[in-house]
Amino acid sequence: MNERCWLALVDAAPPSADAAAALRTPDGDPAGWLAVWLQASKPVRAARRADPRIVDPNGVAAAVSLVLPGRDALPIFDDTAVQGARRAVLADAEPADLVTTLLIDASHFAGSLTARRGPNALARLRDDPFRHVSLATLLIVDGGLLGTVAPPPGPVIERHGSDVPWPGGRFPAI
Amino acid sequence: MSIQPHETFPDLVALDHAGRSRSLSELAGGDPLVLTTFRGFWCPKEQAFMRRLVAFQDEVEVAYSSVVSMSVDPPEVTAAFRAGLGARWTFLADPERAHLDALDLREHTDTVHHPYRPAVFVLTPDLVVHSAYNGYWYWGRPGLDELRVDLREVTRSIRSDWEVPR
Repeated sequence: MNERCWLALVDAAPPSADAAAALRTPDGDPAGWLAVWLQASKPVRAARRADPRIVDPNGVAAAVSLVLPGRDALPIFDDTAVQGARRAVLADAEPADLVTTLLIDASHFAGSLTARRGPNALARLRDDPFRHVSLATLLIVDGGLLGTVAPPPGPVIERHGSDVPWPGGRFPAI
Repeated sequence: MSIQPHETFPDLVALDHAGRSRSLSELAGGDPLVLTTFRGFWCPKEQAFMRRLVAFQDEVEVAYSSVVSMSVDPPEVTAAFRAGLGARWTFLADPERAHLDALDLREHTDTVHHPYRPAVFVLTPDLVVHSAYNGYWYWGRPGLDELRVDLREVTRSIRSDWEVPR
């Protein structure tokens, strides 16, 4: 099985994680840690799969919008609300520093992570299109975890294989 | 038009509508790519053609193909044009006209704007030109059915599972 990128919100930095950074609320209160693992198997029960391009141990702090619907309330990835959110991401004239959807299987939308930097980052994240799918939490993540990923070229909203978190991935060349 | 089918289109780098540096090969991302050059937001012919492409994106968005449009408008102008159209693909900006002559796409008859001559190229993911359309006259541009045929042919040539696996 190929290496995958697993992301989880945890109470403390896990020693097994490939990268982790502390989280704070916009008011500055501690809010746990965001950790990623680059491996084939699921590292912790709460982990969900993300686009591996988001990980950069040299990345600087960022504001993030984290959408984590409960496991008993996951819409399918083809749900029209999830489709609409992906279209809205592509239409944005000021693309985020990174966007990844989250997966736990081949069918369901298991959340999203959107990061922005700059003075208006939190204000812009209040318009996270995925907030229409499920509750979005705004947080500040310390440096050492998240990088910057070029915005998807558009207009494709489909995944490049049901196993691939949008907007990442590509089909193998022949 | 000097760039012809079977030639490789230059992997040019330009700013996108958000001011980020992008290359054509990165934007293709392993998928077929429709590249359009257009005069600018002010041209009624471009507005008409872009509205057709906006309608087309409802198909392209589920068909694993990319669209890129490039003009001499600066990023902030092209971003406003893109937003007004409701386009969800990448617009490239070449206000310095860095690629205009290298691509032999300068519209010499417009001595006011010095824009790109309208053209449409359907490219493979590695930027080989499958088809090229000279849009100087509006009817030289491809209709959506022609683009569908081009994209079908490119997709068939690059997807190993075009014939359904059994």
